[in-house]
Amino acid sequence: MYAPPLQTLIDELGRMPGIGPKSAQRIAFHLLKIPSTDARRLADAIVVVKDRVSSCARCFNVCEGDLCEFCEDGRRDGSSVCVVEDVRDVVAVERTGEFRGLYHVLGGAISPIEGIGPDQLRVSELLERIEAESISEVILAMNPNIEGEATAMYLARLISPLGVSVTKIASGLPVGLQIAAPRFAEPLILVLAKLVQRANPIGWPAWADKY
Amino acid sequence: MRLGSIELTNFRNYETLSLDLAPTTTVVIGDNGTGKTNLVEGIAWLALGASFRGASDEAMVRVGQDKAFIRGEGVRQDRALQVEVELSRVGRNRVLVNRQRLQRVADLGDALQVTVFAPDDLKLVKGGPANRRILIDRALGSLAARNRATQQEVDRVLRQRNTLLKQAHGRRTAEIESTLDVWDQKLSTSGDALIASRVALIKRLAEPLTLAYDTLARGRSDVSMTYRASSHDLPLLAALAAVRDDDIRRGTTTVGPHRDEVALAIGSMPARTHASQGEQRSLALSLRLAIHRLLIETLGATPLLILDDVFSELDDHRARALLSEIPVGQVLMTTASSLPATAEPERVLSVAELVGEGAS
Repeated sequence: MYAPPLQTLIDELGRMPGIGPKSAQRIAFHLLKIPSTDARRLADAIVVVKDRVSSCARCFNVCEGDLCEFCEDGRRDGSSVCVVEDVRDVVAVERTGEFRGLYHVLGGAISPIEGIGPDQLRVSELLERIEAESISEVILAMNPNIEGEATAMYLARLISPLGVSVTKIASGLPVGLQIAAPRFAEPLILVLAKLVQRANPIGWPAWADKY
Repeated sequence: MRLGSIELTNFRNYETLSLDLAPTTTVVIGDNGTGKTNLVEGIAWLALGASFRGASDEAMVRVGQDKAFIRGEGVRQDRALQVEVELSRVGRNRVLVNRQRLQRVADLGDALQVTVFAPDDLKLVKGGPANRRILIDRALGSLAARNRATQQEVDRVLRQRNTLLKQAHGRRTAEIESTLDVWDQKLSTSGDALIASRVALIKRLAEPLTLAYDTLARGRSDVSMTYRASSHDLPLLAALAAVRDDDIRRGTTTVGPHRDEVALAIGSMPARTHASQGEQRSLALSLRLAIHRLLIETLGATPLLILDDVFSELDDHRARALLSEIPVGQVLMTTASSLPATAEPERVLSVAELVGEGAS
């Protein structure tokens, strides 16, 4: 047991995602060592974030003030909305530089196992926006996993009847990837699988096909 | 593909065990209860990424220890192959192939293939449909990584759908209906693919199965394997729609690849209920043999064949017939008693030799 204030700090740090007991201890001792001005700056940053950063009243992106930078920017195309699962996905789409419309952050993907259904997501807010902002194009940019695809399918079925153009981002292998990279093994299997599925339902090589 | 040395550390009942497999047939002799099947389980883990008899990973770790290790070295396509597995009682397992960490344990099957025959195989014929689905799905998984991806997707979608059905508590609200529509669509896409691959594999197995059975049972009999889909050959999407009321009431998915049967018959009679014990045993062996043959033909590599205490259950004729049917390749046999005269092992070892100071 450490002195109570130190122990409290370790416990609090340990509640952060991805920080285990050991990391919590290391960070706490680091904070003990640094000058108090540095520690104060960190503490202030935390307080300011909690005070000033909230979610955009329109698209639920993080922002300072009522609306996020994209919703406030009059040069963006308000008739086109890109729907994403998470705030971090906004940054990812923005980094491509290809999209000039507005965003809508759902706050997750449909996953009964995690207790998340459409009601736990900002789906009704999206429908209201489509109506109120006369949106004509919706781009669904969910993660290419089972839950993301289910969410995209759910939204597409909901939105298409409203006479709005609905598209999904293409899933597949990015240009310039290294096929041998282990983290691409899964998408590679899926993409190749789609190519050969119909011709060859079991998956043995053609040269073995002698029946 | 050939496996050379095997080392087990704190695995099951073994503190340490090392075994050098001969290029052809190796026999391990030991009394009942000395852990012959545990040795088989360790070797098979290297290929399956799981216990061949469905035991938990935790059960692999020796009592009083935190971690178990399995190490296998061999040759694959003229190159050295090394597979190392660290099984933890708590936390994740680590699997290294040629010192490279594998992202998914299931991909071990690409490095090493093993076929295991065990007395327990009788359940392939006598047991419930799950036994036969696992047999077929494992074979599909060895044939192509994409089959494993499809199986994983089916499992995941089923878990999501079943959870949603439980959460519904029998109510049919608009939200539950519309979310179910989506899961039905996902399940039917991956489920239809899984069913199609199972059906195709079963069709391919028909001929090798008949050949193997006729040799083992000495004669010509009409063995057959038929896929009986719980969706009754409807596309899964239509079948799911037809049972939706039922599914909501029961809180679980009542049709799909997880409810399908692989029916075995001898003549016109179901083997599960109408065949004799001897016929059932021959049929179980024939299933393993037929899949082993198919893997050899399609993978272009011969899986290590392990016969775990198989001969004690067979009469002399069947034992010899089985030996004559085994394709050329590396074989490991375990036994508590003597082997048929035609076994002709290259190396004979006792369990005591493998664990004690007697091991060289």
